Amino acid sequence: MVFQAILVCLIATCSTWWFSHTITRTWLYPLWSGFLVALVMGQPLKGMMIAAAINLPYVGFITAGGSMPSNPQFAGPVGTALALASGMDANTASAVGVIIGSVAVFAWTFYMTVNANWVHLADKFLAQGNLKMVRVMNYVPSFFVSLLINGVPGFLAVMWGAKFGEWLQTFPQWIMDAFALAGGILPALGVGMLLNYLATTKLIPFFFLGFALAKFLNLSTMMITVIGAIIALLIYFYQNDPDKVGD
Amino acid sequence: MAQLTKKDLVKNWLLGYSSETCYNYERLQGLGNTNAFMPIIRALYPKEKQAEELKKYLIFFNTEPSWMGTVVHGITAAMEEKRANGEDISADDIISLRSALMGPLAGIGDVVSQSIAYPILAGICISLALNGNFAGPILFEIIYKALMLGLGYSMYMLGYNKGRDAIVELLQTGLLNKILEAVSIVGLMVVGAIGASNVSLDLSFLNWEFDNALGTITFNVQTQVFDGLLPGLLPLLAVVLVWRLLAKKVKPTTIILGIFVFAFLLIAVRFLMGQYA
Repeated sequence: MVFQAILVCLIATCSTWWFSHTITRTWLYPLWSGFLVALVMGQPLKGMMIAAAINLPYVGFITAGGSMPSNPQFAGPVGTALALASGMDANTASAVGVIIGSVAVFAWTFYMTVNANWVHLADKFLAQGNLKMVRVMNYVPSFFVSLLINGVPGFLAVMWGAKFGEWLQTFPQWIMDAFALAGGILPALGVGMLLNYLATTKLIPFFFLGFALAKFLNLSTMMITVIGAIIALLIYFYQNDPDKVGD
Repeated sequence: MAQLTKKDLVKNWLLGYSSETCYNYERLQGLGNTNAFMPIIRALYPKEKQAEELKKYLIFFNTEPSWMGTVVHGITAAMEEKRANGEDISADDIISLRSALMGPLAGIGDVVSQSIAYPILAGICISLALNGNFAGPILFEIIYKALMLGLGYSMYMLGYNKGRDAIVELLQTGLLNKILEAVSIVGLMVVGAIGASNVSLDLSFLNWEFDNALGTITFNVQTQVFDGLLPGLLPLLAVVLVWRLLAKKVKPTTIILGIFVFAFLLIAVRFLMGQYA
């Protein structure tokens, strides 16, 4: 278990300490970072479903200029580890994940603030012409900051998750029901955020079309994507060259 | 004459993916960019000038670094090459061009990566994963990275080969906007599908039974009122309400809190109805 806890600790660390986006860009999203945790903890199927549930409220998550409305890269690995170790169901995990993500915003703020120190050190090294240390400043210190604020909670989630689960068991049923209820509504946040970014007046009907296709005709998301792509292509061609469609 | 090899360019492009390793509020990607431009500066300038040349990168800089913003680095690499070969390009020229481009590319890059590619992919893959299909996370990882690296590399090379004209042209013709608008359609439809299949709000606990001469009559608010009107009406209303609140600049944290309060209120109603007795 200690070995698992260490691996989860590293996943949680690298989900914020992006050593290279060629690898870590997708670790921002609980679907992938949580799945990695699920693999490490030997519960790939259950963990994957929990990770996906935790990701749902973050479908419309957008970060720009380092500002984060919530902290999915913390909620993903730590939330999945906690849910697996304590035996939560997916809906509860989604609600708990959102709470963890909201609280952990301060971890991100701390990370972004403290890291400025390493830049100041890099300033000094560059003035001395020590290029190697400039590179070290880019990679090394921020790892330890992330280890402290993200890795350690990940480690604790694995080690003490079962205890947390026992504690959850002592909660009265109505609290767990309320969490499950909130967990069901929370994905509306991700959808709403995305609408807020994407929807221009003339495009809004497409949102309702997607909703209707899924709800009334029970089409899968993949089928709706294909229909959407066909509509998009049609509109694109007609809009560009109304006279020359087809050539 | 100092010239950049393909290897230098690829190194510069790849190291650009480490530009958020020491992400911080003061200079954001500044230190990461300094790190990324080491191979370029080392290839072009004599040892004693390298530190001085690198100083123009250790400043405030922020763009979308993975999908589209790589074009800025490509353009910069070409400028550095010309500057090292004696063309009249000052350090300030490079800095001001980079600062001018970072904003627009952050805008387009974030739209492409975070409000189109990610939600469409995540929408499909989360649905798969929730149904217990391992293709969910695996497809997400593979397709996301293939698109990101493919586009990132193309944009970098476009910037290096064509210089600033390439991107200015792309931004001005409006072609890009038309493409983005078309892709947004797919995005919105997927978002609608996610809303329909994943937001759940069920009031079937509001259930009454009446006994009269004809027998027992049940009245269920969920199945007889809302589902009778339109399936999925309540989740849809929840989504639209959240969206309007966000449009009114209500903070996501406040909305999350609101959702929890609402959930506990519903539970309170169940208490009053004696369901926890």
